[in-house]
Amino acid sequence: MTRLSHRPLVILGRLAVLAIILIGAELGVRYGMLSQLFFSSPSQIFEALLTQWSNGSFLQDAGITILETMLGLAAGSLLGMGIGLLLPQLRLLSSVFEPFLMVLNGIPVIVIAPLFILWLGLGVPSKIGISVYIVFFAMFIPVYTASLRLDTTLVDALRVMGASRSQIFWKVIVPSSLPSVYTGLKIGSGLALIGAVIGEFVASRAGLGHMILYASGTLDTPTLYLGILTLAIFAAALSLTIDALGPVLVHWRFSDEK
Amino acid sequence: MLEFRNISFSFPGRRGPVEVLRDVSFTCAEDEIVAVIGPSGCGKSTLLSLAIGLRKPTAGEVLLDGRPVKGADRRLGMLFQQTTLLPWRSVLENIELGLEIRGELKAQRRKRALALMQQYGLAGFERKYPHALSGGMQKRAALAQTLAIEPTVLLLDEPFAALDAQTRVVIENDVVKICRAGKRTMVIVTHDIAEAISMADRVVVLSRRPATVKQIYQIPLSRKAANVADVPSMQEFTYFFKSIWDALDISVTGMSAAA
Repeated sequence: MTRLSHRPLVILGRLAVLAIILIGAELGVRYGMLSQLFFSSPSQIFEALLTQWSNGSFLQDAGITILETMLGLAAGSLLGMGIGLLLPQLRLLSSVFEPFLMVLNGIPVIVIAPLFILWLGLGVPSKIGISVYIVFFAMFIPVYTASLRLDTTLVDALRVMGASRSQIFWKVIVPSSLPSVYTGLKIGSGLALIGAVIGEFVASRAGLGHMILYASGTLDTPTLYLGILTLAIFAAALSLTIDALGPVLVHWRFSDEK
Repeated sequence: MLEFRNISFSFPGRRGPVEVLRDVSFTCAEDEIVAVIGPSGCGKSTLLSLAIGLRKPTAGEVLLDGRPVKGADRRLGMLFQQTTLLPWRSVLENIELGLEIRGELKAQRRKRALALMQQYGLAGFERKYPHALSGGMQKRAALAQTLAIEPTVLLLDEPFAALDAQTRVVIENDVVKICRAGKRTMVIVTHDIAEAISMADRVVVLSRRPATVKQIYQIPLSRKAANVADVPSMQEFTYFFKSIWDALDISVTGMSAAA
């Protein structure tokens, strides 16, 4: 936590770092100190944006990657949460499935990606599939572990009050999983984007991953940087959105009233 | 009246069944406070979980007003050692929990919970979350949560063990008052001899595992005293303390031998 009195200084410092990088890159590339093959100046990147924008491919590429990421995050999170909550309720089933899930989780996503392309084709569905696959585990593992370590006193207390199984599920098990759901969302949001871009890298016809790969192949360095910057901005926006969900999902932890 | 009749309980262990309770019998009348005391790990708490229907006795039965207790019974309320306040609910919502489970209407249960909060000195904390409350306040809130469903029998499982000494006496006193005022039956499990003597009308001493009833003491002090805090300074207190201590048969020679 930064101290309140330091805050303006910190913001000023951050702006200064940003300015130095931007101005340094601009001047360095313009006056030949940095090779144009390896680096691009902000003005070159902006030019690349204008080109990509005018032929319509920038919005299409960015839109596709954002769509894949959001759908992958939503579907993967719901699936991971649902199964993570339900599986511990079915002890036998959970003992049977646990090793399979753990092995599946251990396989690097990059080697799973070609399978999804094979099954779902070159388009958007295969990228969503890969995204769902890794987001699922990011959500499933914390929720499942938390459900297994549930505070049994709370369950006992509700049973004594005469609660039914479904009342215990909705009043204790689901709310007590919410901090883990939040953790899952935080990790999953980063992975959703990675999943989508990995899919685009393996085989695709559009998307930011495709744009970056194509730019790299044609030695179009400014477009390459444009792609990376767009991904960075989207990732930051996504992460800020998830952070804002914290006080909604785990409201009691954010109420610091003493 | 709550009756434990010939209760035995064992659970399967690695090397055959582990016998916890053996033929335990005692009763607790209406308007009576019974303390169950025993060496740690003897199965005192198990006794309560059998009464409340969380576990089933291997043999024997728990009777309430002559009929066996089956599963959750709305006449029974239990105060646990650990907190039973749900951390994601405000204190008010926690106290409403039991009534909510029974399907009572929101307006009604809110009215009842607010009245209880007023009664137990929790006014002003309605919107707070449990973690914002002190240990003593949390216990009070848990007590209100248990009493909201108006049980006629109150079971307490070492509920005050985690509280500091002063808070503890205040809450013990409150619980005794609440119990006597409502003519409730109360069984408190504890490992604290002073607590047992100060609160209870009778003290049941259990033996080491497998636990049997070793001794039952009639204690007239709690009813005579105006306040739980007054009991330890009463004349007969030391006598009962010594008797129960001896009955518990706890070895204290280990340390002195080592020193």
